[in-house]
Amino acid sequence: MKTSVLLLACVVWCALGLVAASTPTKEHHTGTTTTHEPRNETLGQVHGDGVAVHSEGEGGHGIERYPVAVIDFERVQTPFIIGLWIFLACLGKIGFHMTPKISHVFPESCMLIILGVVIGVLLIYTQAATVSPLTADVFFLYLLPPIILDAGYFMPNRLFFDNLFTILVFAVVGTIWNALTIGITMYAISLTGLFGLDIPMLHMFLFSSLISAVDPVAVLAVFEEIQVEEVLYILVFGESLLNDGVTVVLYHLFEGFSELGEDNIMAVDIASGVASFLTAFVTRLTREVRVIEPIFVFVMSYLAYLNAEIFHLSGILSITFCGITMKNYVEQNISTKSHTTIKYAMKMLASSSETIIFMFLGVSTIQSTHDWNTWFVILTILFCSIYRILGVLIFSVVCNRFRVKKIGFVDKFVMCYGGLRGAVAFALVITINPAHIPLQPMFLTATIAMVYFTVFVQGITIKPLVQLLGVKKSEKRQLTMNERLHERVMDYIMSGFEDVLGKQGHLLLRNKFKRFNNKYLTPFLVRDKNVIEPKLLETYSNIKMHEALEQMHNSYNSPQNIESFSNLLRNAATHPHVQMNNQGEWNLDVAELEYNPTVRDINDAKFHHLLSNDYKPLKKSRGSTYKRHAVKDDDMQTQSDISHHNMYLHTRQFVQNDKKLYKKAKKLGLVAVREEKGASPQHVPTSPLSQGSVGQDLASQGDNGVTKTPQDHRAAFQQNGSAIKLKQDYIARVIQDNPAFVNDDGTPIFPDQQTIMEKRRQSTKGPTMAEMALPWKRYYQDGEPQDPRRLQRALSIVNSEEDGSQPTLAEAVLPWKRPEDEEVCQMPVKQNEFPAWASNKEYVNYYSPSSTFLGKLGRHDSYPNIREIFERRNSSSSIKSRRGSLKEHPMPLRERSASRGSIDVPSTSASGTSTPTTAHDPSVPHLVRQRTSTDCSLLNTTIVEEDRRGDTVIDINPSGTEPEQTRM
Amino acid sequence: MGNKSSLMLQEQDIRDIQAETGFLPSQIERLYSRFTSLDKGDSGTLSREDFLRIPELAINPLGDRIVHAFFKESEDDHVNFRQFVRVLAHFRPIKKAQDNKLNAREEKLRFAFKMYDLDDDERISREELLAVLHMMVGENISDDQLNSIAERTILEADRDGDQMISFEEFCSALERTDVEQKMSIKFLK
Repeated sequence: MKTSVLLLACVVWCALGLVAASTPTKEHHTGTTTTHEPRNETLGQVHGDGVAVHSEGEGGHGIERYPVAVIDFERVQTPFIIGLWIFLACLGKIGFHMTPKISHVFPESCMLIILGVVIGVLLIYTQAATVSPLTADVFFLYLLPPIILDAGYFMPNRLFFDNLFTILVFAVVGTIWNALTIGITMYAISLTGLFGLDIPMLHMFLFSSLISAVDPVAVLAVFEEIQVEEVLYILVFGESLLNDGVTVVLYHLFEGFSELGEDNIMAVDIASGVASFLTAFVTRLTREVRVIEPIFVFVMSYLAYLNAEIFHLSGILSITFCGITMKNYVEQNISTKSHTTIKYAMKMLASSSETIIFMFLGVSTIQSTHDWNTWFVILTILFCSIYRILGVLIFSVVCNRFRVKKIGFVDKFVMCYGGLRGAVAFALVITINPAHIPLQPMFLTATIAMVYFTVFVQGITIKPLVQLLGVKKSEKRQLTMNERLHERVMDYIMSGFEDVLGKQGHLLLRNKFKRFNNKYLTPFLVRDKNVIEPKLLETYSNIKMHEALEQMHNSYNSPQNIESFSNLLRNAATHPHVQMNNQGEWNLDVAELEYNPTVRDINDAKFHHLLSNDYKPLKKSRGSTYKRHAVKDDDMQTQSDISHHNMYLHTRQFVQNDKKLYKKAKKLGLVAVREEKGASPQHVPTSPLSQGSVGQDLASQGDNGVTKTPQDHRAAFQQNGSAIKLKQDYIARVIQDNPAFVNDDGTPIFPDQQTIMEKRRQSTKGPTMAEMALPWKRYYQDGEPQDPRRLQRALSIVNSEEDGSQPTLAEAVLPWKRPEDEEVCQMPVKQNEFPAWASNKEYVNYYSPSSTFLGKLGRHDSYPNIREIFERRNSSSSIKSRRGSLKEHPMPLRERSASRGSIDVPSTSASGTSTPTTAHDPSVPHLVRQRTSTDCSLLNTTIVEEDRRGDTVIDINPSGTEPEQTRM
Repeated sequence: MGNKSSLMLQEQDIRDIQAETGFLPSQIERLYSRFTSLDKGDSGTLSREDFLRIPELAINPLGDRIVHAFFKESEDDHVNFRQFVRVLAHFRPIKKAQDNKLNAREEKLRFAFKMYDLDDDERISREELLAVLHMMVGENISDDQLNSIAERTILEADRDGDQMISFEEFCSALERTDVEQKMSIKFLK
């Protein structure tokens, strides 16, 4: 409320500012025209003056200096002021809608008119520049077309043509009725001398014809707000659109005295029809020049409008039909993006024109010359209302004879009441030449009064009345597939029965047209394969999209849904295999065998995949080259589908949700309290893809690069700083003395590492998921320490070294692994040359270190803080890289997993929390090696039992798999 | 009345029909003249050929189903006037004054439902839906698309999970549709 008041105040202030801005221009008027500096003045003087505007600039005599600074307000005055108006109006609109009390009572048009009046008063009061008020040309050529085109283009075709007969009756016959009755009555009254002056009969009819037309702009403005039922809306609005044709005819008829008969509606239709077909034909050819498509739509319809105006036909009718016809064919040709463009551009143009019209109306009220004739005004309003009511009553009876759905009493009432007069009448009355018709000022005043009466009184009261009478409101909803389908079937049934009855109903006509359309017009005009029932498909895809979005919104609430959502999207999308790959890879992943993710982790990972797969193109578009004449569809696709901001929010929410879950887990004692603080957000393996890259990068940097990896920051979190030093030292050392730890066999000798491990162990309180994996690992490890090496070979050295998440752990593993690796075979080394992600094209494109922001960062390694932001992505990358590298051994792994049975459960994504208890094996090997695990959490989940035994290293990762292999 | 409906419309018939269907006598007479004009063989009944002779009906994608609807009540392949009128009565606009069961909303819905229900088992299966879709859409939409549309439609309406649409489910799916208006014809007087 406060803000709205503030805004309104702001509007008033702006209005004052506007006036102030325009006021000086008047005074400077003479000065500005002569921008040339007087000859004598030096440049410096000009500079000093700053503004090179001098009212006494007698620039006639001499060389003109180059003016350094000139204020040339004059030149831009009109557009500038108009721009200010629009700006003001927009501010006013915002303020208006932020004040619920006011906006409930007044329609928007009232507010705009009032604002216009205020500005007009200010302009007059300040004697400011006379911004020419609404002239007929401005109105008809620039302001009106967008509004009508918008209305025509978005007119519900079906409703319109279903009710065409009724609309035509009201528009044509009703308008003529109104014009004649009003004219005759007023003339009769003028004969009695009540007005105190003589009004020639023709003048009277001229006036009555212009006042009788219901105005589309006013009707739109009011009816869009009250949102009555569609049929009612289309009746009133259709009438207001079509009666313009009649009005214009009548107007010219009476105005020109002799200009007869050159206008008929058929000609209008033909002109517009030709134009619109032309548009469709042109848009059919614009596959390559997408950007031009919207232009064609606008220009063609505008040309149709002007065409009609040339011949003094009704441009409104022309552009309406142009819009209606064009829509059908054009929409099938143009791309979705162009369609969106057209939609928004049209709406924007229409609403700004509407705004300007009403403001102009307000301003002209003040500035025009008036001739107030009380009786004339009162009687005009009175008879307009009376004859409107009479007309509606009479014609609705006529129409009801032919209508299936009768016009009820309430409908009639709304139709009477909706007979708003507006800007069209006003513009027409302005065009009257006072020289020919001396009474023009009086007509003008009466028209303005009429407009004000209808817009204010009727516009304000119609809303409560509609509510009072319980007029059916329109409900905006999406048709379900069933409704769409069955309605089509019903149409066919009905037309079939009309055939049986031998009746030429409108359904029959429609179906005939449809057939003709499908057979001849559409193939010619529409680019794509023509479909007989495009609406069915359209509805289907709409529903699909809608559902996908909805699922998206809900997915973070229920983790299970993620799966189905991705499925859903992929059904329509072009990645049919991703899902499969995902699962397959998860299962085959050795790292995964060791990696015992919580449900949350898995969901995060999935969510990430989802995002990276389906919403990736956004990144891509960043890199696309700019083209003046083409916007690649695929560049923008996802943007239109889902606003990226939303995605961001969802991700945020998703993560937060996870935190909550994690807290719950903590309460259950599953996770050590201490670690949770630092680690929980980093647990999330959000982007397996990118990590690999970072890992790579880091690896290439050698020893120095390691020190500032995100993991260290994480460690800082976890260990409150104590561990950082240790780690860094250790890493540096390990990497430097490679040979040293290569020679170590099996036994961990690094004291540093031990301390780290111990610290870790202290921090863990309870058994976690890692535990369950460990038992069997330990169990077999003693027997077969060799085989795991092989597997680890598969994990490239690069990965194992840096591996995104835990370099320190990796090192811990390396010492004893290295020697064996070298001894056993060289194959794995080769593998390193082609990192796992190399084969993944998408990954290379979007996530490879060379192309990602993150990768670039990593290369320089100088922004640890920013890196920290991306930590989550880093932490998970290791999974991906490993997964990729493991593709080599898919079969053995699978067999292994099969043989292992229940113990294997942790490897599958779903197992999660339930497994630890079952898998826990009492017989724990003494020596358990710890390898870099995929996730931070695993690091921290050292096992209590091992603690007891004083084991130094825990190997979480590959060791577990070896025994199986050997067994087989 | 049976098959022997008279060539001339008797007063009694008109009254009977009026009572049954709610048509006005003038409407009945008009319908009768249409009936006789369709009846090329002057047999007092209409055969399938008589219907399919109507050019527009022949190319109506659902024309077959519509014609079939007329023959539902007759044992043999002939439709007498009484049956003819009774089928048409489904499409009388609903007026409060003259309530008649034939043109109730439910009857209108049932009629539409019958269009899909090819095997008369009171439920629409996926195959039936597909068949109707094929009639309507023709060859231009791929089978995959039609399939998914049909599946989607069933999924939407299916409440009890039997992968079929029963009449109740059909009605509830069209709850918000203005069936009364959509399935009414203005019969001339």
